Amino acid sequence: MNRVFQGFVGRVFSYLFSLWVILTLNFLLPRLMPGDPLAALLDPASSDYVFDPEVRAALEAYYGLDRPLLEQYARYLVGIFTGDLGRSIRLSRPVGELVASRLPWTLLLVGTALLLSSALALVAGTEAGWRRGSRTDRALVAVHLLLANVPVYLTGMLFIHLFGARLGWLPMAGGRTPFARYETLLAAALDIGRHLVLPALTLTLGMLGVKFLLVRNTMVTVLGEDFMLVARAKGLPEGRLKWGHGLRNAVLPFVAHLAAHAGMAITGAVFIETLFNYPGMGRLIFESVTARDYPVIQGVFLVVSAVVLTANLAADLLNARLDPRVLEG
Amino acid sequence: MLVVRDLRVTFSRDGKSGVRAVDGVSFELARGGALGVIGETGAGKTTLARALLGLHPPECVQGSVRLDGRELAGLSEEEWRAVRWRRIALVVQSVGTALDPVYRVGEQIGEPMRFHLGLSPAEAWARAEELARRVGLEPRHLCAYPHQLSGGEKQRALLAMALGCNPEVLVLDEPTSGQDMLSRVRLLDLLADLRRERGTALLVVSHDLGAVARLTEEVAVLYAGKLVEVGPTEAVFGDPRHPYTWGLLHSYPDMDTARDLRSIRGLPPDPAHPPAGCRFHPRCTQAVEKCRHEEPPLVEVAGRQVACHLGGLQTLLRAESLRKVFFVDNGGPRSPLEAVRGVSLEIREGEVVALVGETGSGKTTLGRMLVGLLSPDGGRVVLEGRDLTAAQGEKWRWLSRRVQLIPQDPFDAVSPRMTVDQVVREPLDIQKVGAPPEREEKVRQVLKAVGLPTDPVFLSLHAHELSGGQLQRVVIARALVLEPKLLIADEPVAMLDPSEQARVMNLLKEIQVERGLAMLLISHDLALVRKVADRILVMHQGRIVEEGPGSRVVTRPIHEHTRALLESAPRIGVFTAEDAEETEF
Amino acid sequence: MRRLPAEMAFGLGILALFGAVALLAPVVAPYDPHAFSGQPLERPSRAHPLGTNDVGHDILSELLYGARVSLTVALAAGAGTVLLGTLVGGAAGYAGGWVDRVLMRLVDGMMSLPRLPLIILLIAFLGAGLPQTILVIALLFWPTTARVIRAQVQSVRTRGYVRMARLFGGGPAYVFLRHILPAIGTLVAHGLVVSAGTAVAIEAGLAFLGLGDPTAKSWGLMVRFALNLPGLFLTDRWLWWALPPALCITLLVLALTFLGIGLERRLNPRLNRRWQ
Repeated sequence: MNRVFQGFVGRVFSYLFSLWVILTLNFLLPRLMPGDPLAALLDPASSDYVFDPEVRAALEAYYGLDRPLLEQYARYLVGIFTGDLGRSIRLSRPVGELVASRLPWTLLLVGTALLLSSALALVAGTEAGWRRGSRTDRALVAVHLLLANVPVYLTGMLFIHLFGARLGWLPMAGGRTPFARYETLLAAALDIGRHLVLPALTLTLGMLGVKFLLVRNTMVTVLGEDFMLVARAKGLPEGRLKWGHGLRNAVLPFVAHLAAHAGMAITGAVFIETLFNYPGMGRLIFESVTARDYPVIQGVFLVVSAVVLTANLAADLLNARLDPRVLEG
Repeated sequence: MLVVRDLRVTFSRDGKSGVRAVDGVSFELARGGALGVIGETGAGKTTLARALLGLHPPECVQGSVRLDGRELAGLSEEEWRAVRWRRIALVVQSVGTALDPVYRVGEQIGEPMRFHLGLSPAEAWARAEELARRVGLEPRHLCAYPHQLSGGEKQRALLAMALGCNPEVLVLDEPTSGQDMLSRVRLLDLLADLRRERGTALLVVSHDLGAVARLTEEVAVLYAGKLVEVGPTEAVFGDPRHPYTWGLLHSYPDMDTARDLRSIRGLPPDPAHPPAGCRFHPRCTQAVEKCRHEEPPLVEVAGRQVACHLGGLQTLLRAESLRKVFFVDNGGPRSPLEAVRGVSLEIREGEVVALVGETGSGKTTLGRMLVGLLSPDGGRVVLEGRDLTAAQGEKWRWLSRRVQLIPQDPFDAVSPRMTVDQVVREPLDIQKVGAPPEREEKVRQVLKAVGLPTDPVFLSLHAHELSGGQLQRVVIARALVLEPKLLIADEPVAMLDPSEQARVMNLLKEIQVERGLAMLLISHDLALVRKVADRILVMHQGRIVEEGPGSRVVTRPIHEHTRALLESAPRIGVFTAEDAEETEF
Repeated sequence: MRRLPAEMAFGLGILALFGAVALLAPVVAPYDPHAFSGQPLERPSRAHPLGTNDVGHDILSELLYGARVSLTVALAAGAGTVLLGTLVGGAAGYAGGWVDRVLMRLVDGMMSLPRLPLIILLIAFLGAGLPQTILVIALLFWPTTARVIRAQVQSVRTRGYVRMARLFGGGPAYVFLRHILPAIGTLVAHGLVVSAGTAVAIEAGLAFLGLGDPTAKSWGLMVRFALNLPGLFLTDRWLWWALPPALCITLLVLALTFLGIGLERRLNPRLNRRWQ
């Protein structure tokens, strides 16, 4: 038990360490970059000069470039923990507010896609692994190999064209109908749901390939293990063999990869939100990049990193619950 | 109860030629009986064990497996499910990886009871605890995960798991592999007790002959997928009749290391390309033409079944009450000296028999009578069924092709006027074997076999130009050139210095194994012969006073003279290949 | 000589095709991709097989020249990634001890960072450009290779023959060149192919997000420009403007993936065998 606890503490510690690295990186990067991009914002001679005096004052106060580096760092950290992520140059709004308004959309999109792709990958991967070498298996592997290599924006474009433009079944862009006022909660949910279908489907397919191949290949390895032979010799029913022993073991690497997949999903979301004009963080990144809105880029980077790291920790702890060997090392 | 008939398991490799891992195996296992299946690694033991639970793809298995009259071969996976574990359970060999790492041990022991007997998880756990206690595990072991258990504990857990549904047949695949000696003994005791308590029939598949001897009454010997000998364990182990069984038993101490067998030449065949005829013939010392073409069936021999065209291990040479009296002329009346007083002995195919005794015990006289250089005053010598007493002419020539002598003193045994080439070729010239170029070739071959050069310079050397070791090799080469079946070596290394002794002794042993010869090794040096001899005969005052397997005679001598010989043997043993191998561990 | 496995043949074939196109772009392309060779937004015609873009550039020519950008990034970023990864992984695996612990800690840390946001941040500050893109990819993606190489070097290092080579007096340089390098050769090739595929996808993605080199007309940039046109999907226009570059990216990444699978089979023959 003690060793388990130690393992747990170790995980949390390494999580906090990574978080600190991210925070520091975010602080140092703009200040160490050649050409001093932040100074350029305040330099009337530069092309990036911010003309709005109010925003310029806010920037000056936020970055505090004239103070010693350590003091800047201390102020930055205090700022982060009090929720101050700076101010958008483009929109003249606090970054924290911007992020807060966009994050739920991304979480909805990514969460839906993660759940859907995981469920599909687990079921299809287990079946394909169970029937390894069969025609079904080979077809599934070929399809998913293709899926794993197609950029999400290609799938997205096809969907927009087919379901949006050609068939007109689903909206082609946005997170909800513009300026709509909903009578009931259900109407709101329906509208948001309709807008979610295509982006979520695109992202699901974008992640499905990798996840399926992981489950399927692990399953094949697991089925070759001696304990599977014993389980068969015990005369257990097929369902128990396939799911109870096969998938139960194959799910471990799957969970271990969940964090990496969450990172992938966010990457995919950036493209999909851009393509579908979906009002999430990805779209925000795209917009801020186009406008060189540094405080927003940094803020989004911090929040997304924190989300991915937390997902990492959660997956680690889940894996430790699922696999008795993990924490004891 | 369990009747297996003509079971064949064929695996296809990349869809190409089939590998027949088990080929036409038949046996029966009575209710509560115990059968051992022994053989080298790769003989098909594990394949056979798994076939009994229908674990191979159905298209790979042919033949019949009947349980209480019901045909199991060809059952669907669903039908097999009802048989597995309820009626036939298996303890697999790979103990370390046989338990699912993500479930508690107790859950896994209880699992088959839940699915076969419909127990609730709680009931199954309770039953698992009972079983665990019976096999010597504590409740805390059940709460543990497999990686927290030691190898021995996992083995016990697997056993408890196998007993869960009280099967009628328990198949044990290498139950003792990877266990230290102490846990091995405990496990065997436990298995024997369980069998007695529950009446479970055991099928023990193992290369641990000790375990099979301890657990079973019947034993089947598997070689390259075929049964070569089946019979009562005691009879088969005590008096093996198939040459393979004999070799296997004689190399037993080496079994666990799965090394090339010491007493069997060659290697087991590639399962994809088994030899035609009797599968053992390339390694068999007594193979005849028929063995190369025709597969021998299992036939009744001496209370067991043996698959051998010759009816099992052949006696190569038999001596019956040999007597030799010399009349010694020491000035007075000629007094008779009985050098050999009624000695009987047998040498079987491929066997190394050591004849040990002091100077004057009569062993050299006996050796000369066996090769026909001396005619006995009583008794007779039979070689391959032919009486050799007073052999002459054709019989004598035949005899000298079958039996060769390596004398003690090589300087005495080689003419000082002949070159190496002439010495080694002499027997061929005498017997008029082949044309001169063939003889040249043969000479070269045997010289190479004994590790001597074959260049013209060496071939033209004379005896006095060679060292003792080289000369003794020349003598051995000469003995081999007629391809005899039996070598009688009379103190073959006594004249050599110790390091050369070890080398020549190793050479002789190697040649004996590789060429499938039998050898009678006459020596006074017990320390030397115990390294190579399968059987030791101790001779004292013209009589054989003790006879037995080499290891037994040396470790537990019966006759006081043997003890005396042992005590006088040098404490610093001769360094041989076997010692070198042992020090590796 | 063994027959080339199908996946390897496919991968190599596509790569060779793209390579030829990249090399011969000036010969095979009908126009200079920067020349205003037609009216804006022309539909496909004999003169412009894939039409023209919003400023009148020939799309087919853009597509053919685009291969140069993608292959440059693939090669440069792939090589950079593998070089860094092999150096760090090799050092960690060979040196062991605290060197190993420190380097692996670094690898773990880097692997837990969300890469795309970080790339975006870096490029935003470094400025968009092909060299920057290549540098950032190499700097962020080496840990994967390092981990694999380290494991292999570690296992080779403890083999008997390496120990024997040291006993015979072989120095670290000798051991590395004679024993370790051959043992990781295929792994390095595999790493190169996989990293190259990643690099192609990343470059295209960055260009798609507007973080590509505006002077290097890559496939990603073409998609980006197409998407900038309002109502692109309301007509068929995207079929000859956005789709071909997207398909080219897919095909190139797929080719590299297949090559990687082929190399992996060679690395691990167990994958070939089917289990009963």
